[in-house]
Amino acid sequence: MKIVGRNKLITPVIFQTLKTHPVILALIALFVIFSGLYPERFLTPLNLSSILKQFVELMLFALGPSIVLVIGSLDLSFVGIWMLGGILVWLLMPILGMFSILVIPLLGLATGLLIGVIQVKVKIPSFILTLGLLVAYWGLTAVLSGGYPRSVRQYAFITARLIPYLPTAFLWSIPIIIVAVFIIKCTRIGTYLYAIGSNEEGAHLAGINVDKYRILTFTLSGLFTGIGLIILFPHLGCTAPIELKLNNVILPLVAIVLGGTPLVGGSGGPQRTILGALTLAVVYRGLYLSLLHPATIQLLVGLLLIISIVVSTRGLKGVTIT
Amino acid sequence: MVTPMDASLLEVKGVSKTFDGVVHALDDVSIAVRQNEIVGVVGENGAGKSTLMKILVGVYSPDKGELYYRGRKVPFPYNPKEAAKRGISIVYQEKGVIPHLKVYQFLFLGYEDKYVKFSRLQIDKMKKRASQILEELRVKCDVEDFMYELPLSAQKMVEIARAILSVRLERTDADITPIIILDEPTAPLTVEESRELSSDILDMKKNASFIFVSHIIPEVMEFTDRVHVLRDGKLVAHYDLSKEKITEEDLFRAIVGRESSEYIYKPEVKKVVSEEVVLTVKNLTKNGCYYDISFDLHKSECIGIFGPAGSGKSEIIKTIAGLISFEGGVLIVKGQEVKADELPHVRLARGIGYFSGETGKELFLNWPIVKNISIVNIEKILRKFIPVISFNAEKKMAEKIMKKMRIRAPSINTDCYSLSGGSKQKVSVGKWFERSPDIFLLEDPTIGIDVGAREDIYETTLEMKKSGISMILISDDPKEYFILCDKIMLVKDGRIQKVLSPDEFRKVMAA
Repeated sequence: MKIVGRNKLITPVIFQTLKTHPVILALIALFVIFSGLYPERFLTPLNLSSILKQFVELMLFALGPSIVLVIGSLDLSFVGIWMLGGILVWLLMPILGMFSILVIPLLGLATGLLIGVIQVKVKIPSFILTLGLLVAYWGLTAVLSGGYPRSVRQYAFITARLIPYLPTAFLWSIPIIIVAVFIIKCTRIGTYLYAIGSNEEGAHLAGINVDKYRILTFTLSGLFTGIGLIILFPHLGCTAPIELKLNNVILPLVAIVLGGTPLVGGSGGPQRTILGALTLAVVYRGLYLSLLHPATIQLLVGLLLIISIVVSTRGLKGVTIT
Repeated sequence: MVTPMDASLLEVKGVSKTFDGVVHALDDVSIAVRQNEIVGVVGENGAGKSTLMKILVGVYSPDKGELYYRGRKVPFPYNPKEAAKRGISIVYQEKGVIPHLKVYQFLFLGYEDKYVKFSRLQIDKMKKRASQILEELRVKCDVEDFMYELPLSAQKMVEIARAILSVRLERTDADITPIIILDEPTAPLTVEESRELSSDILDMKKNASFIFVSHIIPEVMEFTDRVHVLRDGKLVAHYDLSKEKITEEDLFRAIVGRESSEYIYKPEVKKVVSEEVVLTVKNLTKNGCYYDISFDLHKSECIGIFGPAGSGKSEIIKTIAGLISFEGGVLIVKGQEVKADELPHVRLARGIGYFSGETGKELFLNWPIVKNISIVNIEKILRKFIPVISFNAEKKMAEKIMKKMRIRAPSINTDCYSLSGGSKQKVSVGKWFERSPDIFLLEDPTIGIDVGAREDIYETTLEMKKSGISMILISDDPKEYFILCDKIMLVKDGRIQKVLSPDEFRKVMAA
């Protein structure tokens, strides 16, 4: 008897999930298409492991910004924290020893706090503010590094392989993602952030200290980027780039938007970015296997960003806070 | 050809419309409009008024029904331009005005192609025609004024002029009587402004026929010739006000489908004011807004601040809520003097809750009802040991409020944007009821909602008052002051003129 009832329930739940997360369909379709196209190369342990590696990179970079997008702002500073943080670790290594990696989360925290305070005090669009900061960090990195990428090999142990084909960075990223999702979903901080993104005046009237929570949002974003970088730094070769690559900024944003967080705020969040990052990782690997010219891949990624923004904005009313 | 006075200019017969095959928005509704008359269409929010009007102007197409124009059967319009060809045009409740256009530009918006010569706009000709029509309809403004410079009532008049003009431009016959639909035209206006507008519309009767959509009973009684009452998508009553004698109560009963509860017409249910003072305002001043405001608010007392728009009443209540700061004087909340620039969240922590009826201001429209209720009550639903939201407690709280406020919605997980205006307001009041602040500030609590929802809100507020909550009320509806207040302060030009009891206030208002 009970099982019959449950069966009746399952179908609507699946439909509801697909309605609020249309990207699941895209993910399944892509898997089927790519396994059909490259039967011998796509579904191999090596390739799947590469997808996971790519996923970790996208996810950890996108985690902070997807919290910021909940209040309808944008945070592009994450690549800056990576670049400057990497160089600072190299600079401080002789002084602090193995503790110098902790400078990255501290830098993230400080950067987020700075952005938040400036945002609240001067009220300028966060897009331009964080972009400016990103460029400033890039310049500072170039100055401090003396013009060469510097690597700090001592930290390679963090992502040393534990289980064959399962990237260790992926294992480490799980608790970080869970904490971020928990904060957004289960605490009042999360509720207040959705309130600010959805209707700032209403949040004000409901007695929420909007300025404080705005600062907190950017601080959380910086902090999560910093903590994620403890894993990403060795994961990406123990070296921070000294040249700013647009791809590093754009791809995490594509992952966020693909997951269904609209740029206007009030819905979405890190839990949605998980699916977005996974889908983008699959797309990227699939296109990589296709031997298309890199420039063509770039073109397709750009188009994907535009399409997913259109979908996530137009589907706004169907999107619930999940 | 001139149609005789008694024959119907426009007739709608047996219109039905369902949405998604389930909701009966309209069920076999027939109405008629005669030459040069004002026909009222009244009903609660969700009764089907808007759907009917949208069918008339071609936004929706009906499932069933016939349309007769001057006695001839015509198909329903499928867009507003087609509707204008049948003589019908609409003035929407809000957002119809484009503020940064000049009056003549606004009048011809969408019809510029009639005034193009060699792909150049003939601006002089447009201005001339515009001033002609403004003069004919006695609209007091200049064609060169920007729309935002005009007072709200004048903006409405220009919108009506535009509606009439659009019919005339679509049809070439000059003697045509346009049928203008006015969708709650007085909703955004203050009392004086709506009085002014009403008399202007009466003057325009010789130029056009009007369909007047409203839920404000006195207004409908005052200046319509006939009234159609809709309830739950059905036409439940039709009164010819020139022949039949009906009272406001009759109309109320027809609209709501039940007797009016005691609150509305018997305000004696209150009066339990204690001696304890919760809020003291002394010589409060903000230059340019209000001066020397002083009063004491007792426990479970309700003070009304009454005055015309711009009298400073709204600024006073916003100051107490912490939305604006004051420049001089003292504000004492529960014995503690507070700083001038304290923010709303600090005031809320002191026990001051502020509720504004302005649509969409308080609510998070893309959220379900349950979240909208829990947002000010998060402390209550946190778990004991770690500050994590208990979704079970949240659900229980929302269900309790939904039952208490009689919110009509499929479930607590329904998103708020899909609710009717009355239900939205009830969600907002409900969350404050659950929170029960010591001092509750109400600004236009029932603006734009129907009589049924209004009564439910009065009932809840009176209950809050009885339980010891003090209130300050601001509204555009004088009746609300008799119902809720123990004492009414008349404010003019930012100064308190007089303090009246509800009975005295009623006499002043009647005079």
